[in-house]
Amino acid sequence: MVNLKIDGKAVQIEKGATILAAAEKVGIKIPTLCYLKKISPTGACRICVVEIAGVSKPMTACNTPAVEGMEVTTQSENLTTIRKQIIELLLVNHPLDCPVCDAAGECDLQDICYGQEVNRQEFEADNLSHEPIEEWPLIQQVPSRCVLCEKCVKVCHEVVGASAMVVRSKGDRAFIDTVDGKPLDCEFCGNCVAVCPTGTLIEKPFKFKARPWELSLTRTVCTLCSAQCEIDVNVKQGKIARITSVDGETINDGSLCVGGRFGYGYVASEKRLTRPALRKDGMTLETDWEGALSAVSEKIQNLKGEAGAAALAGLASPRLSNEENYLFQKLFRAAIGCNNIDSEARFGLLPATQILGKSLGLKGGSNRIDRITEAKAVLAFGDVTSEAPAVDWQIEKACRKNDGKLIVAGLRKVKLTKYANASLICRPGSEVWLANALAKLIVDAGQADKDYLQRYVENVDELYAYLASLDLDEAVKQTGLARELLEEAADYLGSAPSVAVVMASDLLRGTDAEAAVSAVATLALVSGALHGDIGGLFPLDEKGNTQGLLDMGVAPELLPGQKSYADSASVASAWGVTLPSDGKDAHGILEGIEKGEIRFLYLAACNPLASFPEAGRWRKALQKLDFLVVQDILASELTEMAHVVLPGAAAVEKSGTVTSFDQRINTLKPAVNPPGEAKVDLEIFAALYTHLSARPVEVDFSSLQSEIRQLSGLYTEVCRTDAAGICACNKEAFRPADKSMTFYPAQGGGVSKELELLTATSLYHFGTSTTFSPAACEVAESGYVALSPEDAQEAGVADGSRVKVTSSFGATQADVVVDNDLPKGLAFAPTNFSALNVQSLLSSSANRVAVKVAKS
Amino acid sequence: MSQVVFSSWGGKVVDNRKGGEADLASLKIKLPEKYLNEGKIGAFFGWDGLLVMNRDVDIVALAAEYMKRVQEKYCCAKCSPGKRGTKVLQDTLARILSGHGEERDLTVIAEINSLLEQCKCTLCMTSAKPVQDALTHYRDDFEAYIRGERKPNPAKVYHDKVTAPCTDRCPAHIDIPAYVEEIKDYRFDESLASVRRNMPIPAVCGRVCPHPCEKGCRRGLVDEPVSIMVLKRVASDHEWLHHKEPPMLPGQKKGKKIAVVGAGPAGLTCSYYLLLEGYDVTMFDMLPEPGGTVAVGIPDYRMPRHLLRRDVEIIRSLGAEIRYNTKLGRDMSLRELKEEYDAVFLGTGAFKSKPMGVEGEDAGYEGFSTGGINYLRAVALGQPIETPKRVIVVGGGNTAIDCVRVALREGAEDSILVYRRTRKEMPAEPYEVDDADEENVQFEFLRNPTRLIAENGKVVGVEVVEMALGEPDESGRRRPAPVPGSEYVIPCDLVIPAIGQDPDLSYLEDGDYGIKQTRWNSIVTHGGTMMTDNEGIFAGGDCEYGAMTVVLAVGHGRRAARVIDRYLTEGKAYLDEEDAMEDIFSSLGVFDDNEDVGIIGGLHREHQPKVDGAERAQNYDEIELAMPESQAVREAERCLRCYRVGMVAID
Repeated sequence: MVNLKIDGKAVQIEKGATILAAAEKVGIKIPTLCYLKKISPTGACRICVVEIAGVSKPMTACNTPAVEGMEVTTQSENLTTIRKQIIELLLVNHPLDCPVCDAAGECDLQDICYGQEVNRQEFEADNLSHEPIEEWPLIQQVPSRCVLCEKCVKVCHEVVGASAMVVRSKGDRAFIDTVDGKPLDCEFCGNCVAVCPTGTLIEKPFKFKARPWELSLTRTVCTLCSAQCEIDVNVKQGKIARITSVDGETINDGSLCVGGRFGYGYVASEKRLTRPALRKDGMTLETDWEGALSAVSEKIQNLKGEAGAAALAGLASPRLSNEENYLFQKLFRAAIGCNNIDSEARFGLLPATQILGKSLGLKGGSNRIDRITEAKAVLAFGDVTSEAPAVDWQIEKACRKNDGKLIVAGLRKVKLTKYANASLICRPGSEVWLANALAKLIVDAGQADKDYLQRYVENVDELYAYLASLDLDEAVKQTGLARELLEEAADYLGSAPSVAVVMASDLLRGTDAEAAVSAVATLALVSGALHGDIGGLFPLDEKGNTQGLLDMGVAPELLPGQKSYADSASVASAWGVTLPSDGKDAHGILEGIEKGEIRFLYLAACNPLASFPEAGRWRKALQKLDFLVVQDILASELTEMAHVVLPGAAAVEKSGTVTSFDQRINTLKPAVNPPGEAKVDLEIFAALYTHLSARPVEVDFSSLQSEIRQLSGLYTEVCRTDAAGICACNKEAFRPADKSMTFYPAQGGGVSKELELLTATSLYHFGTSTTFSPAACEVAESGYVALSPEDAQEAGVADGSRVKVTSSFGATQADVVVDNDLPKGLAFAPTNFSALNVQSLLSSSANRVAVKVAKS
Repeated sequence: MSQVVFSSWGGKVVDNRKGGEADLASLKIKLPEKYLNEGKIGAFFGWDGLLVMNRDVDIVALAAEYMKRVQEKYCCAKCSPGKRGTKVLQDTLARILSGHGEERDLTVIAEINSLLEQCKCTLCMTSAKPVQDALTHYRDDFEAYIRGERKPNPAKVYHDKVTAPCTDRCPAHIDIPAYVEEIKDYRFDESLASVRRNMPIPAVCGRVCPHPCEKGCRRGLVDEPVSIMVLKRVASDHEWLHHKEPPMLPGQKKGKKIAVVGAGPAGLTCSYYLLLEGYDVTMFDMLPEPGGTVAVGIPDYRMPRHLLRRDVEIIRSLGAEIRYNTKLGRDMSLRELKEEYDAVFLGTGAFKSKPMGVEGEDAGYEGFSTGGINYLRAVALGQPIETPKRVIVVGGGNTAIDCVRVALREGAEDSILVYRRTRKEMPAEPYEVDDADEENVQFEFLRNPTRLIAENGKVVGVEVVEMALGEPDESGRRRPAPVPGSEYVIPCDLVIPAIGQDPDLSYLEDGDYGIKQTRWNSIVTHGGTMMTDNEGIFAGGDCEYGAMTVVLAVGHGRRAARVIDRYLTEGKAYLDEEDAMEDIFSSLGVFDDNEDVGIIGGLHREHQPKVDGAERAQNYDEIELAMPESQAVREAERCLRCYRVGMVAID
C-alpha cells in the first residue's frame, strides 16, 4: 500500500494505482476527458493535470501512479489556466453544430467546458478537419467534433479485440479512420460510439431520433445470447430509440455486441404479430383473445377426449423467460396431462448438460462469466465470439491483459484464433481425439492434480488407465495436428494454475457431440478447470435462455431443477395432479406427427423450420397436424401454417427472470409495451391454463418464483435486487462433493473424407430474430455458403457464384463466399437466415453434414 | 570551425551578433560545418534551442518552417496541446511571415509555447524551446515582420528529422519510443514491425544487446531507465509464442544480385533490407550454421540458438540463399564475387583472437587454447574438445565471462577468471559478471599472466603477477601496473586467453582490390556510406569497426543496404536525409545527462524473471525468462516518449 495526500487529505491505496484512483477513493473529483477505466490510460487530453510537491511540472493524474509520501494538489490558479487553455484549444474549429449533434446533452466536451467555465476562445487556426465519413455502415464519423481521446480506438482494440480503428495522419489533420482506410468492416458492436465523449461517432439508427433528456431508461437484460448482458433500453414515446449499457456496474462493464446494441429493430418490425388469428375454412382471420384461446382449449379438450393427451405435444423456447417456461411445462403436464414437451435444446445444450451432470455434477457453467478473466489458460472450442460475444471479451481480458495462454480449438479459424498461443484446427470428426490427446499429455507430463482427482473422481483409476491406453500417434493422425503443437497446448493447460474451458456449438452440436463433451469433461478435470475459484467449464448455447429452459424442466425426461422425470412424485403431489408416465422428445414428436399419433402441436416461441435440423421433414410433418398453435412475435412461414396464432411479447416487453449460461439469474423489466393486442407470453399461458382448469390461474411473480424455488431446488441464492431490479447473482464457483464425479471414456469416431458443411450462427445475428432488424441486416443481409479456395476451385465456383448445396437430407441454393480461412474439406453456412434454410440440410443429430456443391 | 553568431544550445546563451567571437568547438558543440556536399549549415533549430552560424539566416522563416514540419510531419496528434497547439503556432508564424501578423500574435506564441509544457510527450513540448528562444532573442525580427518591414528570406534548403535520446544512442537507430508505446497499447505486432524497420534480428537484440540506448534513457534521470531491450524481446517473443507468420514480403524483383559475405548480424541485416527492396541476395558463411558470432560466440543460455535460427529463417524466407562452409579467400575470392555480383557486402566479423604476449604462448602446449572465441565456437558447434577440471580464462570482457561460464557447463570444477584490473573496470556487462559469480566462477582480480607453466608440453599452470591500479588512462579506467616480485603460479589444466578479437582480413591479402585497412586491421569505409575504396564493395560490423556489438553491426548492415540500393539504382553511393541527419544528431548528442526532467519518479524498472542459483550452470537452458506481457505493458508505461525534432538550414 502507498500513502499519499491529496488536497491535504490522507489516502492509502494499493501500489501501482494512479493519482486519479486515489483521488476518487477520497471523493476528490479531478476533471477528465479522455479517461476510461476499462482501457489502458491514454493521457491524451491533459485536463487531469495536478501539481505534486517538489516536482516542477504538473502531471496527469490518470496515468501517474501514486508514490509513497506524495503530496498532490488538484486545484490551483495555474492548473485552472492550463485546463482552460487546453479546452480552448479543443474548441478551435470545433463546429457549432451542437443543436443538431447527437451528443448534445450528454457530451463530455460540453460538460467539461461548462464545468471549467471555459466561455471564450482566443486561439485560431486553419480548419483542417476531415470531411464527415458517411459510407461506414451503422456508424457515422464526424471528425470535426473529435477530441482525439482515442477511447474508440482503444476500446475496439483492447476490449473487443476487433482492432478496426486507428489514428490516421499527422498533426491537426489527424482523425479516426479504419485500419485500411476502407469503409468500416468490423464486428459492429458500436462500443466505439458508446465511449465517444462527443458526437464524433454516431449510431446511424439513432441519429436525429431523440435528445438524451427525452429518453426514459429501463434496466433489463439482453436475451439475444446466453451471456445476458445488462442493458438500458432507451425509450422515447413508447419506442426503443437505442440500447446502452453502463460501465462499472454491469456484468458486461458497459460493453455490448452488435446484437445488443443494434439488434433491437425486430421489436418494432412491421412483421410483428399484433392480433390473435384463427384459421377457418382455409382462411386465417384475426380474432380476439377469447376466440383464439377458446379455440385452442376446445381443441385440446376434444382431442384429449378423442385420442388421449398423448396426441398433443408442445415445444417451448429459449426466447421465453424462466417463469414462462415453467408455466408452459406445468400447463402441459398438470393441466393437459401430456409430457410430450421439448425444445431446440435437444439438439445441443440438453444432451451436453446431461453428460456434464452425469460425469461432473454440473447443471450449467461451473463458474461466473467474469471469473474467466483471471484464468491463466483458456481453451475455447468453436466460435465463442459469434455465440456469446461477452465471453470473447472475458477471454481476451484473460489472455491479452492478464497473461493467460489461449488455446483455440475447433474445425475452423475463428476471430479468437489471432490471439491464440496455440490454434488447434482439427479435421472434422476428430474432436474427441483432440480432447483425449490433450488430457493424456497433461497426465503423462505429471501436470494433473492427482490429489484432487483422487478425492473427487470415484473411478480415477479408470481415467488413468484409459488415457494411458490412448494412442497418441493415432490422435496425431486423426486430428491432422502436429504432436509438438498438441504438446505445447497441453503444457499451457497443464501448467496453468487456473483454467477456463469454453465449448461453443461447433463442439456441442457436432457429430459425436456426446463423446466430445465427455472427452472435454475429462480434459477439464485433468487440467484443473473445475478446481478453485478461477476459470471453469462453460458450455455455451447461442440462444438466450436455454439454461433457464432446462432448469425449468422443459424436456420429457426433466423436471424443474433438471431433476429426473422418473422422480416426479413430489412434483405431482405439489401440483395436486397425477402426472403422465412418459413423454416424447423432439425426435419422438416429429415421428409421432409423421405417424399420425400426434395431431396437435403447440409452438411457443419455437420455429422448428428455422432452428431445428431436418427442417424439411418438420415442414412436411407440420402440414399433417390437425391443429397447430403458433405463439410467436413475428410473422413467418410458420404463422401461415398455423390454425391459431397467438401474438406474444419480446423480452424487452416483459417481466420475469432468465438464466445465463453461467447460471446467473437475471431480471427482465418491460421497457416498452407489446404491440397492438399482443400479450406477454406468461399471460397467454396463464389464460390458457385458466381455460383448461377449473380455477383461474393468476400471474403472480412472487408466488410463481417461490414455487419454482421450492420445486426445483434452484434459484435459492439471494440475488442482488437493486433499484434497477437487476440481479447479477453472486454465483459461487462450483464445488463438487468427494467422489461425486465419474469418468466416462469417450471414443473418437471416424474422420470425414467428404466436403463437410458446418453450420453455426453468424457473428451479426442471433437466432432468426435479428434478421428482422434493419440495422443487423445492413451488415449481414443474407445467408451464403463459404468454401475454402481449394473446394471452390474443385467445384468450379467463385465468389458470388450461385450454387446448389445438397445433402442426403435436403438441398438449398446459396451464394458462394470464398473464405481463405476455411480449411480444405470444410464449408460453412450461417444458420440465421430462413431464406437459406440451411437447417433443411442437417440430420437430426449434428450441425454438420456431408454435402455436394454444384453450380446452379 | 564554424563561428557561432548566436546559440541558446545547452542551456547557455551566447550572443555574438554585436561582436564577440566563439566557435562551435569552444562551446563544445559537435555540429559539422557542412551538410554532406550541399553546403554550409547556417543554423540548427531543435529541441534544445537554436544555433546560428550565419548571421543572414532568417530566424522567423526558420521558426515558421520548423513548426510547419513539426505539425505536419511529426506531431502524432495524440495529445490535445500538441495536436492543436502546434497548429496554432504554425499558422501564427506563417501569418507573421506573410506580413499579416499582429502584435498580439507574439503573446499567443508565448502562451502556446508555455502550454506545450503539458504535452504527453516531448516532441511538441521541445519544439517550443527554439521557437521561444527565437522569440526572446530575435524579437526585433518578428516585430519587423509585423510592421511589414521585412520579406521572407528562406534558406536554400532545410533538412529535418525526428529522434530521441535512446534512438540516437542505438547504433541501429531503432524508433524505440514507437515500439515501447506500441507495447503499452497492447500492439505487439506493430511494436515488432517498428523494431524491424531498423533491426531484423529482434529475438537476438532483445536478449544480448548491451543496450546503449538505456544509458540515454531520460527515465533514468528520474528513477531508472526503461527496460528497452527486454521490451524488444517481449514483442519478438509475442510473435513466436503465438505462431504468427511475420508479415514482411520481399520487394518487387530488381534483377540485381548481391553477395553478402558473413551471415552474422551485419550480413543478415544487410541481406534483410536488400531483400525487402527486391534484390537477389546470396549469403556466404564459413560456418556450418547462421548467426556468426551470435551463434558460436554467445552461449545458448544467453541466446538460445533456435530463436536465432528463427530470426535467420525469417530473413532467409524472403528469398536469400545461404551457402554455408564457404570461406572468402579459401573457397572463393573477392575478385570472383565482384565479377559475379552487382555489389558485395563484407560482414566477416572479428574472429582472430588477440595474443596475450606472455611467455610460452607460441610453444604449442597442450592445454593452451587458441583463444576464447575459438573455445566458444568449438563448444557451440559440438566439436570434440574436452574441458578439463581446472580452467583459467584471461580477460575481462564479455567473451571472457562467456568462457568461464561455458567451461563450468562443459564440466570444469574450477573455472577461474584472471583479470588485470578490478571488477569495477571490467568491460563485461556488470549483470553478466554477477551471473558468473552466482554460478561460482572464481575471480582473480589485479592479476596479469606473465608465463605459461608447462610440463611435458602440457600446461599445468599460469604464472601471474599482482597488479596495482595507478592513474586513469585515456579510457578513464585506472591503469594497472605490475607489482615487482609478486609473481606466483596458479595451477590449471587449460588456459583460455580472451582479451579481444581482431578481424581476419587475410582474404584481402593479395592486395589488388584497393581496399584500405586501418592500423587496427579493420576495413576502411567512407563518410558513413559503408563503401570501401573499391566501388561496389561495402563493409560493416566487426570487420569494419573492430570487435564491437551486435547492434552496431545491425546499424552498419542497414546503412549499407540503403546505400547499396542507391548505388545500384542511381549509380551513386550517398547518404539521404535520414542517414545524414542521423549522423549529425549522433555527433551533436541528443541525451543530456544534466537535464532536470521535472517529473515525479519512484517507479522501479521491471525485470524479467530469471533462473536463480548455481545449479543452472549444469545446462544451456536460457537463464532469463520471458517477461509477462502485463509486466511489459507496465514497464512501457514508464517511457517518457522523448521524441524531438531537429532541423538544419543550409546556405
